Amino acid sequence: MCTKAVRWELNQHEFFAPFANPWRPLRSVFEFDIKTIATPAFPVRANAAFDHHPPALPWWAWRARLRQRWALWWQGRLPRTDTLLLTQRNVYILPTRAGWMLGVTLAVLLIGSINYQLNLGYALTFLLAGCAAAGMVVGHGTLRGLALQMAPPEPVFAGQLARLGVTLINNRRTPRWAIGVALQGTRQWAWADVAAGGQTTVEVAFAPPRRGQHAVPTLVAETRFPLGSFRVWAPWQPAARVLVYPAPEPQPPALPAGEPAPGSGHAGGARASGEFDGVRGYQRGDPLKLVVWKKYARSGELVSRDTQQVQRQALWLDYARAGPLAPEARLSRLTAWVLAADAQGLDWGLRLPGIEIAVDGGPAHRLRCLEALATC
Amino acid sequence: MLNATPQTTASHTRWLSRLQQLPRETRDTLFLLALVGWIVLPQVPHLPAWCSALVAVVLLWRGTLALTGRPLPHRAWLIVLLVAATAATRVTHGALLGQDAGVTLVVSLLALKTLELRARRDALVIFFLGFFTLLTGFFHSQSLASAAVMLVGVWGLLTALINAHRPVGQPPLRESAALALRMALAGAPVMIALFVFFPRFAPLWGMPTGELRGRSGLSSTMTVGNVAKLALDDGIALRVRWDGAPPPQRELYFRGPVLSHFDGQQWTARGGGDGFEAALGPPPRDLQVSGAPIGYELTLEPSASPWLLTLDAAPQAPELPPGWRARQTPDLQWMANRPVTALLRYRAQSWPQFSYGQTGWDGRLPRQLGAELQLPAGFNPRTVALARELRAAAPGNSPQAIVQAALQRLRSGGYSYTLEPGIAARDSADDFWFDAKAGFCEHIASAFVVLLRAAGVPARIVTGFQGGEINGLDGYWVVRNADAHAWTEVWLAGRGWVRVDPTGAVMPGRVGQTQRLRPPPGLVAGAIGTLNPDLLRQLRAGWDAVNNRWNQWVLNYTQGRQLDLLRGLGFEQPSWEDLGKVLAGLLTAAALVGAAWARWERTQHDPWLRLLDAARRRLRAAGIEAADSTPPRELAHLVEHAPWAAELRAPLSRWLLALERQRYAAPGARGSSAAPSLATLRRAFRQLRWPRPS
Repeated sequence: MCTKAVRWELNQHEFFAPFANPWRPLRSVFEFDIKTIATPAFPVRANAAFDHHPPALPWWAWRARLRQRWALWWQGRLPRTDTLLLTQRNVYILPTRAGWMLGVTLAVLLIGSINYQLNLGYALTFLLAGCAAAGMVVGHGTLRGLALQMAPPEPVFAGQLARLGVTLINNRRTPRWAIGVALQGTRQWAWADVAAGGQTTVEVAFAPPRRGQHAVPTLVAETRFPLGSFRVWAPWQPAARVLVYPAPEPQPPALPAGEPAPGSGHAGGARASGEFDGVRGYQRGDPLKLVVWKKYARSGELVSRDTQQVQRQALWLDYARAGPLAPEARLSRLTAWVLAADAQGLDWGLRLPGIEIAVDGGPAHRLRCLEALATC
Repeated sequence: MLNATPQTTASHTRWLSRLQQLPRETRDTLFLLALVGWIVLPQVPHLPAWCSALVAVVLLWRGTLALTGRPLPHRAWLIVLLVAATAATRVTHGALLGQDAGVTLVVSLLALKTLELRARRDALVIFFLGFFTLLTGFFHSQSLASAAVMLVGVWGLLTALINAHRPVGQPPLRESAALALRMALAGAPVMIALFVFFPRFAPLWGMPTGELRGRSGLSSTMTVGNVAKLALDDGIALRVRWDGAPPPQRELYFRGPVLSHFDGQQWTARGGGDGFEAALGPPPRDLQVSGAPIGYELTLEPSASPWLLTLDAAPQAPELPPGWRARQTPDLQWMANRPVTALLRYRAQSWPQFSYGQTGWDGRLPRQLGAELQLPAGFNPRTVALARELRAAAPGNSPQAIVQAALQRLRSGGYSYTLEPGIAARDSADDFWFDAKAGFCEHIASAFVVLLRAAGVPARIVTGFQGGEINGLDGYWVVRNADAHAWTEVWLAGRGWVRVDPTGAVMPGRVGQTQRLRPPPGLVAGAIGTLNPDLLRQLRAGWDAVNNRWNQWVLNYTQGRQLDLLRGLGFEQPSWEDLGKVLAGLLTAAALVGAAWARWERTQHDPWLRLLDAARRRLRAAGIEAADSTPPRELAHLVEHAPWAAELRAPLSRWLLALERQRYAAPGARGSSAAPSLATLRRAFRQLRWPRPS
């Protein structure tokens, strides 16, 4: 299951290599989960449009399959880059429905001018046509020359939204207005105006479906400025990857008992003087969360947990000992334990099939463990 | 009290600041409502009163809703108002289709749509309806003022449209207005090119009766005051290219409708109606011509009528393009088989010396002349009395003597030619002969014919054009609507119908020379005139010039002028397909420019990077492979370690390091010898010696 996941990711890379054979049948590449088959109306999930897990389509939905195949081929051709300069080559422009309405209006104005022999009517029609053409140039110029930059996305837990920070950099001497950034296929736009010579950051979010390392989905920068008659857009495939940790179990059981640390003689700690296991007097500089407040409330003595004592017990979070659960549930529990151990300031070690991380503490250790949990 | 609080601002600045603090939706809605008001305002005089009232009420209501932030009315209200407006249109105009009803409907729709204006996207329909309404304004006036109003309206609509497509924050309207202005200026060349070269087609469907003004200005009826309106219209009615020299002015009578029937106020063609029935009569068989013929090619501007204007008199049919046929009425007028709706060119031959109508009946009046003697009873009693006096005074009651006596009275009776004789009385001939003693060609001809008919001489009015002028540019003889004229024909025994132009007796200059009268000055002009006549003259001359240019270049830019332009550009026999070719050529040129720009845009624009690229290419040719992103310092390093002679490597590596310094030197050091300018480096690059590949 863990190794199988790794191989699945490799398949993905193969498919999206620039020279991949686009005619390979879909079914042999994507191993799909039964749960991801779309409903009979097969709408594209709003946040899962081609996030590399496209819904499997029934055999009779040939139009949707064609569209899907076209979209996948197109995405495969996009260069993967975290900074993109939009030029005339990668900016596209097409009329919108409002643009066609404007065309119809112009045609009707022209017919009216012809029929009633109005020379000023001709002038009005042609002036509007000229403005529409100028609008086309202005709209295209709004995106052309813009630089897009993606900030490395922060890791998130499964089920949360991954936030992508996109910076729009304008090197022109005139401002750029009404630029929207969104995931391709969705309609949740993040609009921005970029000042002349300045930059603006917008945030786009997407929901990664499961844990692991995910490529950022294709983004689209679009504008319909100034007249709404032309849609100017540029697709962008960032090279960044989002690390998604497993979702922590909501109510995890208590941390497991510590294992005897190698080299320490006896199990069980000194119970002299009626103190708790692993407790010592408060020393200046001890973190407050280690103070046993119940004892202070009762007796007014400040005592703090002795992490060294516990360390002699060597807390090990082990995949094999995470309970009789499914693999993903075990990983969830382990994640919850890692977070709890880190919250308590303990040192712990992580043991997963194929990976063993030595006992340590601190935020860097936590990140390492989470990463291991995410990618195992 | 050094930091005293400022006085409360004046009320108008308070209003202004309140306006600026409005939320964005409210501000945009109010702007759009003001735009709708501006667009509809010039058309209020031509709209039914209920429509203007509806627009005003709806705009105010919607404005109030926007300011107070209350919700929009329920959809049921809109449907009720829409049905009511449609019903009212039907009642007022009698139909739902047609020009006036259409204008009323469009304006009502525009106003009612603002009640449905919720989001910015809904405004699109308002924009398109607004463009329509701008067009309908041109039905009534295409003057400079209406053009200016249209331009402001277009600018406002574009501003609102641009503002609607800026979703971030509250962008100031002036930014959108500035961009709209720039876009309009950028689109102006496209507009001018299309306006000049787009072919002018004939109306595509039906002839909206009464709505299409015939440009020739003639009509088959003449009520006093009809022809005067055209005298001010400088539009071209027809153009002639003479085979030889142009004939003298006094022979330049182009025959149009002949009006014989008088009902006391209106002259109509024989048989009544619009004169088309007159074409059903047989052509005159007794037309005799003499003298030298004049051949010409005539180009008729479009009009709503089938009249083919020819020089008096053309016995043979003009040579028309295929599909056209000509008939001659008994009154010598040529008519086509369908109205002239596009530019029509034909060849004809006329003899200025002609006679017809004499039937050799030994002095007895032919039966057919009854119509030309008819006068309505009870009209113009004084003229009838005068006619009897003339008849009695004429020796032998000869019609020639009567005609001469009448002309003599015109010459010496104190009559004058004016374009504004005042409102015509019921007895128009009495008014002319005895009271006003002034009028234009229509008055004179009508009064003359009434007098002659009362004296027993058959006479009728012929309308058409007289005169014209040569156009210096292309040698064409141009006859304008201002040359519309009305003269008379008198039947004399033994000679038939003889042309008598009474206007020539009143004002000899009107006939034989081009002299177009100006209307009397209005109030303001009169005031300026008394103060400073020179200023008035200059202003008037200036305004006339501007207006004339406007008329000629914009309003009267017809098919004829387009073809003239093509001829000027070098086309031999221009037609509308040539216009299409010119347009296609312009489009191709624009596409080529676009493709060249796209190609240029792909190249590297940074001059420093281009220089570095050039150096890298030379090094590659010399055998040193370097990636496209290699900086100059690394290239210099590669050069240093290349297996070349030292005297080749040193200048190259020095130059590369200088290139790096030029880019990255401190700002103060630029331009010095340590960091030379790019131009210096470019010159040095050309003088570098590159090793040959081994």
